[in-house]
Amino acid sequence: MIDIKKTYKNYVDGKYVRSESGKTYTKELKNEFYELPLTSRKDVRDTVTSSKSGFNKWNGLTPYTRMQILYRLSEMIEGNKESYIELLVSHGISKQKANKDIELAIENIIWFAGLADKWEQLAGNLNPVSEEYFNISHQNPIGVVFSLSSSTVSLNDLLLSLLPPLTVGCSVISYSEESSVLALKFAEDINNSDFPPGSLNILTGNFENILDDVSKHVEINLVALHREIENNGLKRIQENASSSVKRVVSLPSISGLSSILPYLETKTVWHPKGT
Amino acid sequence: MVDWQYSESIESPDIVSIKKKYTNYIGGKFVEPKSKKYINTISPSTEELLSKVPLSNEQDINSSVKSAKEGFEVWSKLTPNQRSRYLFKIARLIQERSREFAVLESLDGGKPIKESRDFDLPQVAANFFYFAGWADKLDLSWATKSLKPYGVVGQIIPWNFPLLMLAWKIAPALATGNTVVLKPAETTPLTALLFAEICEQAGLPPGVVNIVTGDGSTGSLIVNHKDINKIAFTGSTQVGKLIQNSLAGRDVGLTLELGGKAANIVYEDAAIDQAVEGVVNGIFFNQGHVCCAGSRLLLQESIHDQFVKKLEKRMQSLRVGNPLDKNTDIGAINSKEQLDKITSLVNEGVEDGGELFQTQCELPGNGFWFRPSLFTNVQPSYSIAREEIFGPVLTTLTFRTPEEAVEIANNTEYGLSAGVWTEKGSKILWTADRLDAGVVWANTFNKFDPSSPFGGYKESGFGREGGRHGLLSYLKASS
Repeated sequence: MIDIKKTYKNYVDGKYVRSESGKTYTKELKNEFYELPLTSRKDVRDTVTSSKSGFNKWNGLTPYTRMQILYRLSEMIEGNKESYIELLVSHGISKQKANKDIELAIENIIWFAGLADKWEQLAGNLNPVSEEYFNISHQNPIGVVFSLSSSTVSLNDLLLSLLPPLTVGCSVISYSEESSVLALKFAEDINNSDFPPGSLNILTGNFENILDDVSKHVEINLVALHREIENNGLKRIQENASSSVKRVVSLPSISGLSSILPYLETKTVWHPKGT
Repeated sequence: MVDWQYSESIESPDIVSIKKKYTNYIGGKFVEPKSKKYINTISPSTEELLSKVPLSNEQDINSSVKSAKEGFEVWSKLTPNQRSRYLFKIARLIQERSREFAVLESLDGGKPIKESRDFDLPQVAANFFYFAGWADKLDLSWATKSLKPYGVVGQIIPWNFPLLMLAWKIAPALATGNTVVLKPAETTPLTALLFAEICEQAGLPPGVVNIVTGDGSTGSLIVNHKDINKIAFTGSTQVGKLIQNSLAGRDVGLTLELGGKAANIVYEDAAIDQAVEGVVNGIFFNQGHVCCAGSRLLLQESIHDQFVKKLEKRMQSLRVGNPLDKNTDIGAINSKEQLDKITSLVNEGVEDGGELFQTQCELPGNGFWFRPSLFTNVQPSYSIAREEIFGPVLTTLTFRTPEEAVEIANNTEYGLSAGVWTEKGSKILWTADRLDAGVVWANTFNKFDPSSPFGGYKESGFGREGGRHGLLSYLKASS
């Protein structure tokens, strides 16, 4: 009997889509060949449009709701644990390591889910100005974040590249090369966790192909790089970014409060006190 | 009818003695520039030569960075409590010599003494006091692990608040354990050089603060120096982009505090007279040479005519003239170059079809001056509604609904500040939440405090200055 092999597609605006270019690249796992979407410039542009509206929807939810949706994600992954382990094993990872990876991933989702309605209390404060004014600094999410995932094949690493911005209300375009099959499988759990369309879009391909398109796109507010970029790529990204004062973070912190700080804009509001 | 005669009240310039020529301050010493070149600094209110300051070259920058590196070795080994004491001492010394600094600031920069004396200098001292207290509490500031200073920080500051920008830069950098090479603006170097004397009086270890003067080429040498660990820049968005570009691919920290085109939104239910005062302060404070100036007045349609009438009447009472006259509201434009830029943008506004109101007042014969100006009948596409003019020029737009006000306010690449005027609390909070701006002033404008973070969204830059958040601009998370 012949096995049924899954077709993997990009996940954009709550839908599974092929690259508009029709181009794919091949990934071999356990003697099976997977044709994965080779994301094009046009795909990036379409995805940013979705992420912009996704940002408004996701950020428009209450922190309480965002917390529950993130928690829902942990429920989904827990339910599909075996299939994740199987996929990691097919990448040549030991079963024990794979099991540990999924456990860690779930642990981290729980940590960030619980942070969704607390980070404003940790990152903002009243300011004791020397006049009769009420003065408060609080934070807004920066907007659309493009996150290049690490080169490891690890659900935990993948999650740590997108949970910090998602937790604070940013929409995320997650881009994977080496862990592409894993990322596209993960999209199915995103799809089942009540995330609004466009809040988290998942793309795969060769980053070098779209490096300039991403770093020059003025509606991507921040580029987070979770792996080293070869051949002067980081310099090119930062040069492109400077034309719109775009924020670029290379190998950002992925733990604790410092993990969310790059994705926040601090807003300070003044009002006089009086009668 | 009583004929009120105007009688001036001039602050004496005698309190400050200006040297004919200044040197750089490097490694705790006042040293002649190796470039052997100098630039003139003039008083923009008289065009008279005040002094000459070094035009520093590569050798000068090399020795200042080297000195800051050596200074870091000493500074980072002090206890936090010792660093705190130095900053407290500097704050006190500034208070004591405050009038001298204020007069020099007004002479070199053209701002009214009323502002340099009552705003700039008190804020300068307050910044050093505020950050002095953080120096030994950094471990309590953020719930994050291992925050470390960058090391040598290059700081490049503008001419609109020369000494205050120095304080915004140096106080947090030193409190967090960094050492600095600071370059004041080409047209306003004198108070920074006087500050070097304060460092000496305070007995600050050599190399902790280095002050080098020059022009844009000097700034570029600092940015491109291989031993600089972080750059903090305040200035135009155009230059900020160039700096960000120059640092691409290098492991150098960067914070940018750039331009703005702030919307000052007045709803029909605002306290109108109070709002008129706030709008005047928002745009005419410091001749409008303020990156967060409320330069786009957004009026709800129903109050447009009434508001403009009151505003014009209030503008007419603004006194333009000698910065050292204690009655002066609006001093001199900082430079000929800036005056030309303002003039050209205003001419463009008239050609585009904007209706221009300017106050009738006598302007001094010498120096650089511009009448307080108000544009009405403006389309959002006009340059005067989009570009930062950085002068005493207010542009008026109208809106019908709160949603439209927010849309117009955010329709700019800038995101530094904004103002909201209404007596309805819920409308303030609704509006403030939706504005893409780092600072929102509600029923007030242009308020500053060392404990209050300042900095922009979008192309107005990144990083904050002031407050607990300002510490993060000078600390990096290391694993």
